[in-house]
Amino acid sequence: MRTVEVLFVIVILLTAFTITTQFAVLPSPSEAFGTNLRELSQSTLETLDMQGMLSATVFKDQNDDAWGDLQRAISASIPPNTVYNFSVYDLTANSEGIVTYELEKSISDANFGSASDVASLMVTSPDVTFTQAPQKVGESTGQNITLYILNCSDANGWWITGYTGQSLAADLCDLLSPYFTTTVLINSTDQLGSLLDDSLSVGNVEDAVILNTFGEAVPIPDEYCSGGSKQTEGYDPINDGGTYARYFHTLGSVTGQYNWTWVSIVGWPFYYVTNTNFFVAQQNTYGIYGMEDVRTSGVNAFLQGLDNQPYSYDTTGIAAGVGVVEFTTEALDSCNYYGIFPSPYQTASRALTQSIETDYNLERRATIFNLKNSRVAGATFKHQDGNGALTAIGLTRIPDIRITAIGLLMYYNPTIYRSEFGASGTSRLVTLQLGQQGGT
Amino acid sequence: MTGATIDHMVSVTILIAALMIAMLTYSNMFATAVDYDRNRQVANKAIDLMNTICLSPGNPTDWGETNAPVLGFGLQDPRVEGYALSPYSIMRLKTSTSDSQLIEYPPDSGIFYNNISAQFGDSILTPLGDCVNYTSAAELLGVNGTYGFSIDLAPVLDISIKKLPASHLVFEIDVKGSGLPLSFATLNYYLFHIDAGVATSTIITYSGTEETDLSGSKVIEFTDLDGDETEAFHFMVYARLSGLSGVGYYSQDDLQGYPQYIVPLISDYDEGIILIAHSWGVHEYTETPVPDVAYNATFYSLTSDFHLQQIEIENSTGQLNYGSKDYETTQLPASEVGLLVISYRWANRLGSVVLPWGIGTLGVSASYSSGFGSSDYDFVATELRQVTIDGVSYQVKVSAWKLGS
Repeated sequence: MRTVEVLFVIVILLTAFTITTQFAVLPSPSEAFGTNLRELSQSTLETLDMQGMLSATVFKDQNDDAWGDLQRAISASIPPNTVYNFSVYDLTANSEGIVTYELEKSISDANFGSASDVASLMVTSPDVTFTQAPQKVGESTGQNITLYILNCSDANGWWITGYTGQSLAADLCDLLSPYFTTTVLINSTDQLGSLLDDSLSVGNVEDAVILNTFGEAVPIPDEYCSGGSKQTEGYDPINDGGTYARYFHTLGSVTGQYNWTWVSIVGWPFYYVTNTNFFVAQQNTYGIYGMEDVRTSGVNAFLQGLDNQPYSYDTTGIAAGVGVVEFTTEALDSCNYYGIFPSPYQTASRALTQSIETDYNLERRATIFNLKNSRVAGATFKHQDGNGALTAIGLTRIPDIRITAIGLLMYYNPTIYRSEFGASGTSRLVTLQLGQQGGT
Repeated sequence: MTGATIDHMVSVTILIAALMIAMLTYSNMFATAVDYDRNRQVANKAIDLMNTICLSPGNPTDWGETNAPVLGFGLQDPRVEGYALSPYSIMRLKTSTSDSQLIEYPPDSGIFYNNISAQFGDSILTPLGDCVNYTSAAELLGVNGTYGFSIDLAPVLDISIKKLPASHLVFEIDVKGSGLPLSFATLNYYLFHIDAGVATSTIITYSGTEETDLSGSKVIEFTDLDGDETEAFHFMVYARLSGLSGVGYYSQDDLQGYPQYIVPLISDYDEGIILIAHSWGVHEYTETPVPDVAYNATFYSLTSDFHLQQIEIENSTGQLNYGSKDYETTQLPASEVGLLVISYRWANRLGSVVLPWGIGTLGVSASYSSGFGSSDYDFVATELRQVTIDGVSYQVKVSAWKLGS
């Protein structure tokens, strides 16, 4: 009886062993590698198109001799034991923008076995050039808007560590000038004085954008300084032992008068005035000469002027740090639309309080960063009567001028006119499938 | 009781036998799996190496055009990108696998040159001190001591040129790729015919465009030239069809039993300095009398549509004699790929030599390996890609194998 049991056990063991060996089928070590057909195919397509010959051929008429040349070139390129299928697909876009691929032509020299792989290449017709042309700011509303960039050689910057106002001016000019009909560099504080007087003969002072590249410092013309011909519009001798908060009040008033958009690219707006000729011996307490601090009263005075309020010396600090802030959805969309991609996460050390909107009758537009602790790290504040605006980006140094660009473009929202790169007849998808004959 | 003991003994015996069979079988399976896994690693390494070599220019990116040390290995042409290899980086590879292949010049100077051979007589001789040897490349690729590898570069198109017997100079050109004839390919041909001047030689250029027939052949005739054995010339053909291109050449000298008189050596990559050396100092020939050679050097840059444009160079003519004037220097435009064609004459003997500045311009093949080969290893993975060098179509094969047991 036990013998029978033992035989049963043996039968069970052998059966189990047989079954497991049937299932545990491993590939042969020699099958660990076959020719990497996909990369061979990709490199074949790319080298054939290296001088644009492939692109030129696939857009030719199907009866053109070039197809025969291409077929011979492919046959001569690939190893003898390799077969291929070369296919060209035309891209067709319907009215809703949905792209479909239609087989245009296929060339093959044999049937495929089991081992094959395919690579693809998108080619563009040599007759098509991809272009994009921005609409000029103000074009849609009939305004002639000039971009004035402060590039004063007699001014120093602060909170723009690593840059100078002049270098930022050049970069911003490159970045933004395509969007404006006229871009003017204000090369001295004297020219800035002329701009404030509307006596600068270049550009259109009405509805202009004034871009201050000097960070927390703002260039001030000599005549607005103490003892100057317009010191009453620039200098307040009474408060704080004499302060230039009055100058910022004037700037705010002029901004409203001419319907400017004043742009502060980084930090606490209107914190210093700068004129390297006048403030030769003054420095900003951090060793940067040629400037004098106005501190917290500066931005308050500007907003008073913008709101057409009388000048009143106010040292209330309306900016503060809020840490890391992130782009709004609108800002992210603008980055994609305009092709400008700064980091969506930034650190704000000078975010303005949201209460300025009610205190100075401002309307917040084009908000770059989501609000944090009821503070605005980057936005354009438009006066509610429609005249004048302040774009303030209260980030920490070092400035990223791409954020300034995004802020301005969000505010003015110029259209980008792009040529249809993926439209029917301009792009084709080429695939090359390779297969090996005779095993690996 | 005895029956139970026998039962147990039988069952234990059979159980042990079953276990042994199972262990034997499974150990074979495990060995197979381990082999498969190891081979897979080698195969992946081959792909990694190929990607690094073909799709990275290395560091610095222009290391092939300078004498600078190489910090990262890659052969991609940084000016073209994609599957295009730098013709200069390849020239800086120490392709010689033994010291006997090196050339020492001047003799006993301790200055050696690596030799990338083209056809007989034509070669690229590069200063060994600036070449990247196999061990350095393996270290830079991170495989030194773990994997062996080799790189083989060969033109896709095989362009064979034969001189046909005739009363004038006639060539038959056959263009093939992967064993198939390349029919209706455009041929740009150049004949650098060496004419004897008063005391020197001159290079007369004949050029034209033709097309191969259905069988990939074409006969090109020069009815003004005799083409007999007393003539010297270099005949070049660039073939192209729908993005595929190749180059072939044929040369003939009339040196009446002497070896070639002139050998060009690359002295400085950065500056494109070339030594035009008397070959008795390079190869230590002993034939006498020693030729008093008059040479005439011309540089032709290769344009993207496979035309050659002549560029003036310094010291384009001169006289060399071994012992009194061993070499002359000239400078090529380092950023232009092309051909330095040097004709030479001694008495009534004429010859020529070509230095390709960029290996693609002459369709030179190259191999880069340790010299020990992979024949001792069970599994060698190979990776194949198409590339261009100087616009000429090449195939790159990278082989990799696991070192050690």
